[in-house]
Amino acid sequence: MGRQSSERVVIVGGGIQGCAAAYFLARAGWSVTVLEKDNIGRHASGANAGGVRRLGRDLREVPLSLAAMDIWKDLPAYIGEEAAAAFHPSFYMKVAIDDKGHGLGLDRIRMLENAGYQHEIWLSKRELKKRLPQLEGPLLGGVLVEGDGWAVPWRIVRGFAKAALDHGAEILEGCQVVQFSRHSSGVWKIETATGSLESDWVVNCAGAWAARLARKAGDLDFPLSAHAPMLAITERRAPVLPAVLGVLGHTLSLKQLDTGQFLIGGGVRATADLETDKAGLKIPEMATSIRLACQLLPGISVAGILRCWSGIEGYMPDDLPVIGMGGLPGLVHGFGFSAHGFQLGPGVGEVLADLVIARQTKVSLKPFCPSRFG
Amino acid sequence: MSNARDYDLIIIGSGPAGMAAALLADRSGLSVLMLDDQPGAGGQVYRQIGPNSRNAKTFGFLGEEYFRGGDLAGKLEASGVDCIHQAHVWQITEDNEVFYSRKGAAASIRADFILMASGAQERPMPIPGWTLPGVMTVGAAQTLLKMSATGADGAVFIGTGPLFYLTIWQYLRAGFGVKAVLDTATAIPPAGAFRWILPALLQAGILAKGWAWRAEVRKRTSYQNGVRGVSLSGDGKLEKISFIDRLGKEREIKAGHAFLHQGVIPNVNLGMAAGLDYRWDEGQLCWRPVLDQHGQSSRKTVFVAGDGGGIAGASVAVTSGQLAAARIIRLGGKTPRGLPAFLRLRHWLNKAPRPFLDAMFRPPTDWIVPEDEKVIVCRCEGLTRGEIDQAAKMGVAGPNQLKSYCRAGMGRCQARMCGITVQHILAEHSGRPVRDLDYFRLRPPIRPVTVGELAMLAENDGQAI
Repeated sequence: MGRQSSERVVIVGGGIQGCAAAYFLARAGWSVTVLEKDNIGRHASGANAGGVRRLGRDLREVPLSLAAMDIWKDLPAYIGEEAAAAFHPSFYMKVAIDDKGHGLGLDRIRMLENAGYQHEIWLSKRELKKRLPQLEGPLLGGVLVEGDGWAVPWRIVRGFAKAALDHGAEILEGCQVVQFSRHSSGVWKIETATGSLESDWVVNCAGAWAARLARKAGDLDFPLSAHAPMLAITERRAPVLPAVLGVLGHTLSLKQLDTGQFLIGGGVRATADLETDKAGLKIPEMATSIRLACQLLPGISVAGILRCWSGIEGYMPDDLPVIGMGGLPGLVHGFGFSAHGFQLGPGVGEVLADLVIARQTKVSLKPFCPSRFG
Repeated sequence: MSNARDYDLIIIGSGPAGMAAALLADRSGLSVLMLDDQPGAGGQVYRQIGPNSRNAKTFGFLGEEYFRGGDLAGKLEASGVDCIHQAHVWQITEDNEVFYSRKGAAASIRADFILMASGAQERPMPIPGWTLPGVMTVGAAQTLLKMSATGADGAVFIGTGPLFYLTIWQYLRAGFGVKAVLDTATAIPPAGAFRWILPALLQAGILAKGWAWRAEVRKRTSYQNGVRGVSLSGDGKLEKISFIDRLGKEREIKAGHAFLHQGVIPNVNLGMAAGLDYRWDEGQLCWRPVLDQHGQSSRKTVFVAGDGGGIAGASVAVTSGQLAAARIIRLGGKTPRGLPAFLRLRHWLNKAPRPFLDAMFRPPTDWIVPEDEKVIVCRCEGLTRGEIDQAAKMGVAGPNQLKSYCRAGMGRCQARMCGITVQHILAEHSGRPVRDLDYFRLRPPIRPVTVGELAMLAENDGQAI
C-alpha cells in the first residue's frame, strides 16, 4: 500500500460490483463516492436470478469465482448478519438429461481436474437419484458443487451499499454522469445531473452503460452489448427442491426460494433499451426453459407464474468481464459480466479496490484485460 | 408471429364499451376478435345478460338499468364478431400480440389495433378486520346476486357511492334482509361538489334515479350516515362491527356479513404492463391512462374505452367505445357505418354528471390509509401498515424501491389491493404529493398463468383456444 489513504475515488454504478468496490475502498480509508443514475441495484444487480455459483464457470474465471466465494462464506463479517441472511448456501447441481449433456459434464470434470480444481464433482446416475430423488425424467448423472446456493440479490447489493456507507462512503442515487474528463493536473472532473465533483480515480462499474461511460472518458470503444435476461417467479408451493438446478447443454436455472416460490431463469435474453432503460419481456421464449422445469419437476406445472421480469445487463463477445486498468491513468474498469457477475461481485469489489490502492491483485486479471479486443 | 389468425382489431372485455365498439367495427368491415374473461357477454355491469342467460328471464330484481345491456349483447351475438369467453389476457406485447389463457392452456393472437375495455375494480378499503371471513366488497356481493341470485341475509353494508346504493337496492328487491347501512359520507355533500351541479342537471334523470335508490334504502333499512372509525372483529370470522356515529358516539352491531365499498377505479394492470402512459387523477383518486378524445393511448395502436380509461359509468362506456372504434376504423382506411348521430355531443352529455358525482363520493383518505398500524395493507404478503411505515422510514423513495425492504405488492394480485394505499403511505412519509410518486412497475403476466400453460405455449402456436 504505497499510496495515501486520503485520495478520492468516484465509482460510477451502484450495482453489486460498484457497491462492493465502494465497501472495500471505504474500509481502506479512501474517500469514496458512488454515482448511481437510478437507485442501488436497479438493473442487472437487483433483477438477476441470485445464483451464487462456482459451478460451470469459464476456466479463466474460476480463480476469481473461488476468491469471491471466500467472501460469501464469511459474508456476515463483511455486510453484517442481517444482510448476509439473504444468502442461502445449499448445493448447485447441473444434471445431464441427454448424451450431449452427459459428455459435456464428464469433459468438464476432466478439464477442471487437469487444471487442479476439485470443487466440482461428478455424480453418477445412482448418486444423483439418491441426492435428488424428487427429480423425474431421463437423468444420466450430474455435476455438483457443495456450498453454492442462491441469494436475494437486492438485499445483498443493499448490504454492501450500507456497509460502504458505514465506512464513510457517500452514495448518490438519481445521479447520472453527464460528462467527465481528466485534467492535466491528474484530477478527474465529473459533471453529473446534479452537480460536479473531482476525483483522483474513477472506477467504471456502469454495467450495460459502461461502454458509453468509457467513450465519454475518451478510452477504448468496448464491444459491449446490452440484453435483458428474463426470469419468472411462481406462487408459493411446499418445499421440494433444496438445490439450485441447471441442465447441462440446456438453458435452465431453477430454484425454490425460502418463500416456497420457484424462480425460473436460464438466461434467455429479451431486448434492452439503453436510452429509455426499458427491458423487454418475451415470455414465450422462456417456454423452452419452462418446459424443461416441468419435465424435471412435474409438480411445478400447476404453480401459477406471478410475475416475469428482466434486468439490463452488459455482455462482452467472449462472455468474460472487463476488469483492469483503463487506457487512461486513474481509470479502472469492472463491467461486462455477461449475466454471470452476481457471485463474482464481492470478489470483483475487492479486486477493484486492490487495483486502485496497490495496483496489484491476488488473482490474475489477465483474461479480463480491457484491451483484449484491441 | 404474424399468421392467418391476425385480426384488424382485438377488443379486450365485453362490457358496454367493448360491445358497442365491436358492433360498430364489425358493421364497418373490420375483422374483430373479442376476448373476455367471463362466461358470457356483459362485463361487470351487465354480467350474464346474454339473450339466452337465465338472468334475462328471471332476475327482474336487478332493475331496468341492468337490462339495458341486453340489447347490446343480443346484437353482439348476431354479429360477425368472433368472441372468445373465459379468455384471461395476461400480456400485450410491443407488436400487439395478445397472450391469454383459457381452460388451462395459453395462446396468442395479433391485431393491428387493440381496444382495452377491461373496466374497473373497487377501490380497496383497508379497515381493521377487512380480511376476516364474512367480509367482502359490495361489488363481490353484487356479482353473486347477478350470477346466481345468491345473497346473505342480515348483512351490513359499509361505504358509499352509486354502486353502493344500487346494490343495496337490488339486495332488498331480491328479498334479502339488510341489517344496517353505514354510509361513510355525510348527509350533506361536500360544498365543492355543487360547483359541478349545473352540468350534472343535464342528466337530471340519472341523479333522480340515484336519489330514489338512496331514499328507498334509507326508508327500508337501519341507516346511518357520517359514520367514522369502522372496525370489524371476530374470532376467526366476522362477528362485530364497531364504529363512531355522526354524533361521535361509539356503537356496535353484531353481524356475520359485511360488504365494503368506496367507489371504483380503473383497472390499470393490463395497460401499465403494456407500457401505456398513466397519470394520477386527484379527482377520482386513481391512476388513469393518458388518452386523447378518441381514447387513443400513448401507444398509437392501443386504445382504451369505458371505465378502464377513467370512471364514468355504462352510458359513457358505450359512447367512448363508439368514439374509439370510429377512430380505429378510419385509421384502418375504412368509413364507420351506422355511426350514431351527434356521437360526440351524446358522449359529452353522458359525461356531464360525472364531476359532480366524483366530488360527492370522493372518499377521504382515511378510508384508503388505515390509521391503525396493525391493519393489513398488502393481503397477498400479509404486510401491515406498520411494516410499510418501517420501510418508508428507512428512506424508500417509492413503491418500486419498497421491494428491497418488504414484499408489498409482489403477490398474486400484483398490487391491485394495496397499490394506492402503499402509495399514499409513502407519500405521507416523503412529504411529496401522491402524483409525484411512481406506481408499482407492473410486469406481465398480469394475472397468474401456470407453469404448465406457459410450457405448452409454443406447442399451441397457430391455434386459437
